[in-house]
Amino acid sequence: MAMISDLQYHTKLKFGDLGRYVLLPGDPGRVEGIAKYFNDNEFVADSREHKSYRGTLLDERIGVLSTGMGCPSTAIAMEELINIGVETFIRVGTSGTLQPNTKSGDIAIITSAIRDEGTTRGYLPIEYPAIADINIVNCIIKSAKKLNLNYRKGISHTKDSFYAELYPDTMPMSDEIKKSMEYWKKGGAICSEMESSSIFILSSIYRKRSGAIAYMYGNDSNLEKPNLEPLIQLAIESLKEIITFDREKNN
Amino acid sequence: MEQDNKKVHHLNIAKNDIGKYVFLPGDPKRCETIASYLDDAHFVMLNREHCTYTGNLEGQSVSVVSTGMGCPSAAIAIEELIELGAHTFIRIGTSGGMQPEINPGDLAIVTGAIRNEWTTRAYLPIEFPAVADIEVVNALKEAAENLQFPHWLGISQSKDSFFGQHEPHKMPVENELINQWRSYVRGGAICSEMESSAVFVISSIRNVRSAAIMLVCANQERYGFHRNEHDTTTAIKTAVEAFRILIKNDNKI
Repeated sequence: MAMISDLQYHTKLKFGDLGRYVLLPGDPGRVEGIAKYFNDNEFVADSREHKSYRGTLLDERIGVLSTGMGCPSTAIAMEELINIGVETFIRVGTSGTLQPNTKSGDIAIITSAIRDEGTTRGYLPIEYPAIADINIVNCIIKSAKKLNLNYRKGISHTKDSFYAELYPDTMPMSDEIKKSMEYWKKGGAICSEMESSSIFILSSIYRKRSGAIAYMYGNDSNLEKPNLEPLIQLAIESLKEIITFDREKNN
Repeated sequence: MEQDNKKVHHLNIAKNDIGKYVFLPGDPKRCETIASYLDDAHFVMLNREHCTYTGNLEGQSVSVVSTGMGCPSAAIAIEELIELGAHTFIRIGTSGGMQPEINPGDLAIVTGAIRNEWTTRAYLPIEFPAVADIEVVNALKEAAENLQFPHWLGISQSKDSFFGQHEPHKMPVENELINQWRSYVRGGAICSEMESSAVFVISSIRNVRSAAIMLVCANQERYGFHRNEHDTTTAIKTAVEAFRILIKNDNKI
């Protein structure tokens, strides 16, 4: 058992550093841009791909920590954040779209994830569903309506290989990859990204709450620099909504 | 229209026999009880394990169709109902509790299902989640809160083998069954039943809405199989109230 004052191995955080509510971008370069929406924000740590800031919202201590790309480092981040007392997680990321008529900048509110990755197989059998917490999802939807954002809610494809999806023809397994992508589309999945399933599965196991939102690149776009401000504003508004919800329920 | 009279193969009913909102009990013998909560309900058909009643709620045509036990017949029922134009489903069933704090007699509102069955593997790879529609889940939650019935929200185990759960010691694969069960409990699953994953996966693919509400009959994690509750009245009342909420919301749009 780790001592309360011990630093976590990869994130270099100790108990209470980030409060009970944390936002999870993938990119360490986006952490500061998110923290600027916090009151009294301050840098906490920067270790490997895990950079963290903290601050307050509605007088509640909150934090932001980057997961790095993919479920392996995301699972490490989740384990260590749970060790230091975090109870509520919202992933704030970018994704591709899997459905037609998506414009770049439309937001995906992710309700569950396809476990097309290896990390969570170390946790639970593959037939177990990766699902977001319904109260968190409801708070996010309420916030998206309040901010008047274009959003879709639904299933995300969580994958290990970014370039298999983007350039399947360059892969020896191109046929299988293309076939799978068709399956996910026909199943109704709305977007494709690389971290949500591990966040949901670990939250289920440790009885924590999580949700995920993503900026979707549109059907016809290249990877131009996205404007993430509306997404970040949604994350902040959602956290306020959740903190208020918890206070009403005495959570 | 001629097509509206065309009967589907197993349910043996046609488009104008049913509503777009359908309750899905497992047991054909429970259809009549559920139908008694509808306005002007009438019996439509009984074919194999599929019994159909249709009536009204809030002025909308609503049906009750039994799935039979297990995902194979549940998949047949929901496919044929979607073919006939149904778009919103609530499975009403019985289940075993999986977390120690859950009591026999409590309700489980199912938000997602463990695909511990083989039917949906013919539809989508196993890593695809079986997830309920959030609007239907929210309606069930609101209904249970309004009626003040004790309820839990969470994941169910949808299994193929009833006795694999109840009497694993009889099975050659006993150890796997027990390890599987333990891992699902540690994952946080709240109840064990036999149809939800097929209902959810097929709903995702066909772009219709579904969720499930289960009476928790027993809880082997707490009482073994000694304490049982089999009265499904609270589950039925909650499902009926949820359809009223959904129909009213849908009418607003």
